[in-house]
Amino acid sequence: MKNVNYVTVKIAAGAVVCVESEIRGDVTIGPRTVVHPKARIIAEAGPIVIGEGNLIEEQALIINGYPENITPESEVEPKTMTIGMNNVFEVGCVSQALKIGDNNVIESKADVGRNVILTSGCIIGAFCQVNTCEVIPENTVIYGSGCMRRVQTERPQPQTLQLDFLMKILPNYHHLKKTVKASHNAS
Amino acid sequence: MASLLQPDRVVYLVRGEKKIRAPLSQLYFCRYCSELRSLECVSHEVDSHYCPSCLENMPSAEAKLKKNRCANCFDCPCCMHTLSTRATNIPAPLPDDPTKTAMKKAYYLACGFCRWTSRDVGMADKSVASGGWQEPENPHTQRINKLIEYYQQLAHREKQDRDRKKMARRRQCMPLAFSQHTIHVVEKYGLGTRLQRQRPGAPISSLSGLSLKEGEEQKDITIEPAPALDEVEPLPEDCYSRPISLPEVTTLRQRLLQPDFQPAGASQLHPRHKHLLMKRSLRCRKCEHNLIFAHPIPSKRESQVLLTLTNPVENITHVTLAPCEDDDPDDINSTAKVVVPGKQLVLAGKDAAAEYDELAEPQDFQDDPDVVAFRKSNKIGFFIKVIPQKEEDADVTVSFKIRHDFRNLAAPVRPSEEGGAAAAPAPAESIWLTHHVELRLGPLAP
Repeated sequence: MKNVNYVTVKIAAGAVVCVESEIRGDVTIGPRTVVHPKARIIAEAGPIVIGEGNLIEEQALIINGYPENITPESEVEPKTMTIGMNNVFEVGCVSQALKIGDNNVIESKADVGRNVILTSGCIIGAFCQVNTCEVIPENTVIYGSGCMRRVQTERPQPQTLQLDFLMKILPNYHHLKKTVKASHNAS
Repeated sequence: MASLLQPDRVVYLVRGEKKIRAPLSQLYFCRYCSELRSLECVSHEVDSHYCPSCLENMPSAEAKLKKNRCANCFDCPCCMHTLSTRATNIPAPLPDDPTKTAMKKAYYLACGFCRWTSRDVGMADKSVASGGWQEPENPHTQRINKLIEYYQQLAHREKQDRDRKKMARRRQCMPLAFSQHTIHVVEKYGLGTRLQRQRPGAPISSLSGLSLKEGEEQKDITIEPAPALDEVEPLPEDCYSRPISLPEVTTLRQRLLQPDFQPAGASQLHPRHKHLLMKRSLRCRKCEHNLIFAHPIPSKRESQVLLTLTNPVENITHVTLAPCEDDDPDDINSTAKVVVPGKQLVLAGKDAAAEYDELAEPQDFQDDPDVVAFRKSNKIGFFIKVIPQKEEDADVTVSFKIRHDFRNLAAPVRPSEEGGAAAAPAPAESIWLTHHVELRLGPLAP
């Protein structure tokens, strides 16, 4: 019998997720994470687990999709996409990386492919397209039109001030999705 | 407008020393000669120096002292972007009471593009927001300065000898000729303080300068030649076998931007002061007047046969188009025949307040609908017919002449015949200007 996806979005207490954002599939969002309106988190080919303190801005797209958009005919084992803590997904970025660590920043309109693994403290510069098959070492900065790289000595600071501000202000202007405790779903 | 996205589609012919075809956005218009000029027909002169980030103007002499660099702004040594100053709060002991600590502001330089910070090269945070950053000293500065002094003195002595010889030969005739020659020699070692480059035709007062110098005491500067070493430091043993860590090595561009040090390691890349840019002033070579930028007359739209004309001045302009004659010497590029409307087109004046005025009176021009497609404030769209000559043309080009009237409102005030104190400006007369225009229309549809 085909397994029907139990489509619950599990939002932990303390997270601020606007109603205008589009979240599809099996997505878990940790506490203190802010999801702006018009952000899209789509779990097609497997679940997405998002950690604490992340900032997902407008028109950002986090998608766990099938490679090259082809739905395989046979059942493929779903791979979970894990996103760690204190990451920032700036406006308009696209992230398909299956494993993202902590304190990374994906700047505006950047494109991160499925086979990239971001460790910690990485910064993918604006409009950089990274779709190599590699693990980006810690504290790497990718910048420029030629995707030049360099290593910085300190990791980017977590955006605590911005997160606090948003968590106060966003509820004044947007409706929020209700928090749902992570419950076990019977198959 | 075509000038922003596709600059080469509409080109104008400039009849200067060379015949140049350039889009209008790169051309200038001389009000006094009433002709189009291109960048090659004008002489460039340095007007002033300014910093591109803080826009500080400085006179050329000061710029020369500071080696053409801004005092306040820095460039990132990694990506050449402008550095910005950021502040952090650090706990520091109070000067009065060493046991208590208070938050003090510490400033560091950071690049917004590649995230380079001054802490990466080990520069300590400063307590003042600006002016605390020191550029590292070049260890060779002293030697270089000494060498420069010695050679300046040598050049001066040579010049004196040469002048003395020539003065003995020709006493008074042609003082201009040899002075101009000596300027060339003296500039070799950068001694041009007394003999600044003067405009051709102006008298040069170098002779007075010479006599002063002879009275002064001449200090003899001697330099030692650079010592030659027998033994050179050998390369490290693991030079070929050690794996290179790419983030630690500087790129050629980063290295050569700092010719004094040329650091090989990224940890020695210090920020440099920002380079100043020059504001040029352009001078028409024929009439020696300063130029203004060209006013955009025609602009081209995407479609093949619909052209738009925009009138930038405030009075009504009459435009006539004429095809090129068969044996026109300028007509070398056109690959298609063009049939232009024979009638005169009238363009309304530019009215800056028109877009805010909702009750604007409709313009009362009788337009032939076969010729004029639309009319909107100071723009007009009209049709031309293009007849391609070849069967398969990769780039259809047409050329024609455009003739319009131009009223020079900014012409210099001519004094009236009575010679009164408040001279009334002569009424600006219209003159007719003709330009040769070429349009590149693109490939023929199969």
